[in-house]
Amino acid sequence: MAQPRIFALIAVATVGLAACGGGSTTGAAANKPDKVQIAAEGPFTGDQASIGAGALKAIQLAVSDFNKAGGVNGTPVGLLIWDDQHSAQTAQTLQAAGIADPTVLGIVGPMNSGVVLGSVTGLQAATPPLPFVSESASNTKVTDSGWSVAHRVNARDDAQGPADAAFMIAQGAKKVEVMDAKSDYSTALADQTEAALKAKSIPTQRDSVKAGTTDFSTIITKIKSFNADWVYFADEGPEAAPFVSQLKQAGLTIGNNINFLGTDGEEDSSIITKSQSAYDGAYATNITADPAGVSGSAAAAYVTEYKTAYGPDSLSSAGPFYGSAYEAAQTLLQAIKNSPVNNGKISRADVISHLASDTFTTIFGSVKFNAKGDVTGGGIYVYQAKGNAMVVLKQVSG
Amino acid sequence: MSIFLQQLINGLELGSLYALVALGYTLIYGILEMLNFAHGDVYMVGAFLAAGVAAFFVHNEVAAIPAGLVVGLMVVVAMGGAGLLGVGIERIAYRPLRNANRLAPLITAIGVSLFLESAVQVWVSPAPVLVPSNALVPQTVLHFGTLTTPLTGLSLFVVAIALMVALDAFVFRTRFGSAMRATAQDREAATFMGIDVDRVILVTFFVASALAGMAGVLFGLWHATADFFMGYLLGIKAFTAAVIGGIGNIRGAMIGGMLLGVLESLAGGFISTQFQDTFVFLALITVLLIRPQGLFGQPLTDRA
Repeated sequence: MAQPRIFALIAVATVGLAACGGGSTTGAAANKPDKVQIAAEGPFTGDQASIGAGALKAIQLAVSDFNKAGGVNGTPVGLLIWDDQHSAQTAQTLQAAGIADPTVLGIVGPMNSGVVLGSVTGLQAATPPLPFVSESASNTKVTDSGWSVAHRVNARDDAQGPADAAFMIAQGAKKVEVMDAKSDYSTALADQTEAALKAKSIPTQRDSVKAGTTDFSTIITKIKSFNADWVYFADEGPEAAPFVSQLKQAGLTIGNNINFLGTDGEEDSSIITKSQSAYDGAYATNITADPAGVSGSAAAAYVTEYKTAYGPDSLSSAGPFYGSAYEAAQTLLQAIKNSPVNNGKISRADVISHLASDTFTTIFGSVKFNAKGDVTGGGIYVYQAKGNAMVVLKQVSG
Repeated sequence: MSIFLQQLINGLELGSLYALVALGYTLIYGILEMLNFAHGDVYMVGAFLAAGVAAFFVHNEVAAIPAGLVVGLMVVVAMGGAGLLGVGIERIAYRPLRNANRLAPLITAIGVSLFLESAVQVWVSPAPVLVPSNALVPQTVLHFGTLTTPLTGLSLFVVAIALMVALDAFVFRTRFGSAMRATAQDREAATFMGIDVDRVILVTFFVASALAGMAGVLFGLWHATADFFMGYLLGIKAFTAAVIGGIGNIRGAMIGGMLLGVLESLAGGFISTQFQDTFVFLALITVLLIRPQGLFGQPLTDRA
């Protein structure tokens, strides 16, 4: 007889406490959710750790800043780290755990277009679908395929390719060697650029290097016999330093008898030292802004914060996406914060609708996604290697 | 024609790198009949050791020691370090499995390979590091008419050939070499003849890994870079070279390496770099169809 009474007492007490919790705040949206998690996904280790490692640090910083500011109505957001190692298969395994857990509300990433395209159907088919905001996936298919889960803060290939071609033509390019690194990102971008060059009757020669290639003598011999005056290399980054060193060794000096335009991962000042200054004078375009290169106090404050958190030299290994990764995390966290809380739960369906409808405040100013999930006004920036830094020349679109 | 010759030179330089690493695959296979999949990563560790020594003396300007001495130190540290690493791998990962099913050491070899790649990535650098070759070796480019090659590339070729000749002499002319060959032929019988098989295996691992370490130094001086992933693709190519030449056969590995380098260079130069590897592996399949034992291998029936 005693036992049921105790249970009844506990039940009454719980209800009472819950009532107090509800009474102390105003309105349903201000309810404190029980548990909120997001995931950071990208190649944090593996062959592309050079772009992933810095992005992860940025996301960790964004989540910690968000939690310091109060989290989601007082609940700190937990960060899961999904290291997909640039493999769609690994991504699917990691995402399966998140799809099954309703407190996982979104993903910052995946970073590689190939990974997005290889795993997005699982995210879309989940109930409710698991949304993501990528900081670097640029293949057009990512947002052109009608997936409601897909968002990105970076500019697209079909903006970057033509902008890259136009830049080289404006600089007086006559014959262009177009190179890709055999990935979904790089091949698609090189195709876009090559098509835009051909449309202006600029002769091109196309070559591919496999990720992990360290000897480029075959291609450099081809570049010399083709008499190219520009080399365009769509690459995530790790191949650039050995490539330009070997160009110089073969007698082609950037800025002197050859010009070089790289993309995204090649907007990285550490390439200058790693190539023993052979990279000096090279150009690179980036589909995201470098916080250290844009004017704006929020971006400058973020750069200071990043250096304080990870050391004064940390920007040299931050990779090209440490700004867009922070920006992507900000949009996702704000969409979660704006979503209604019912019985301590936030639904992923509401996060998706807030991603679609809201305007977000980021280190690069306010950001809004269009119907496809692309940012309106995503810019492409041209940088040049000068001395020991990549210096912004101009914004070419967006 | 001059472009053809230029691609030939490119291919021979790349091929001598393949050959140095292929020798390791073939030496170890010859003795143990196992594929040391971690061998490409031993080459990578050698390159990092060389990069570390170079960076220590060049960047920190510890003492004004001559560049030649730094290069000498790089060779000693990289060959010694890689050699000891190879010996350590054998003791820890392969010896306990020597009498196990043939698949078991293959799996541990893949495990060791992944461990080395991840360890270097996490503890050393996820991005490529610089080997400050400008400060160490002359960056002269040699011209022969229209043909050019950097001095460092030519040195890679010459040193590789010299090492191969020395290894060939070691295996075929010395007492220890005959112990190695005896062990390769029949491990049990060699034990009965009083050969310390464990010692032979350790020395083989040391020599094979030291050669890979030297390949790492030569590569660093040639292309001024080292990264944790560099051993993966090169390891696969070198293994292919060893198979083309006839795995277990030392001269086969040398020629297989050169052949593969030249083939890759010509396929990339004259057909397409997009399909470069397709042609390389097509060549492997063709060789294996016509001569399953490889170009210089003994027919399999002899061994069984």
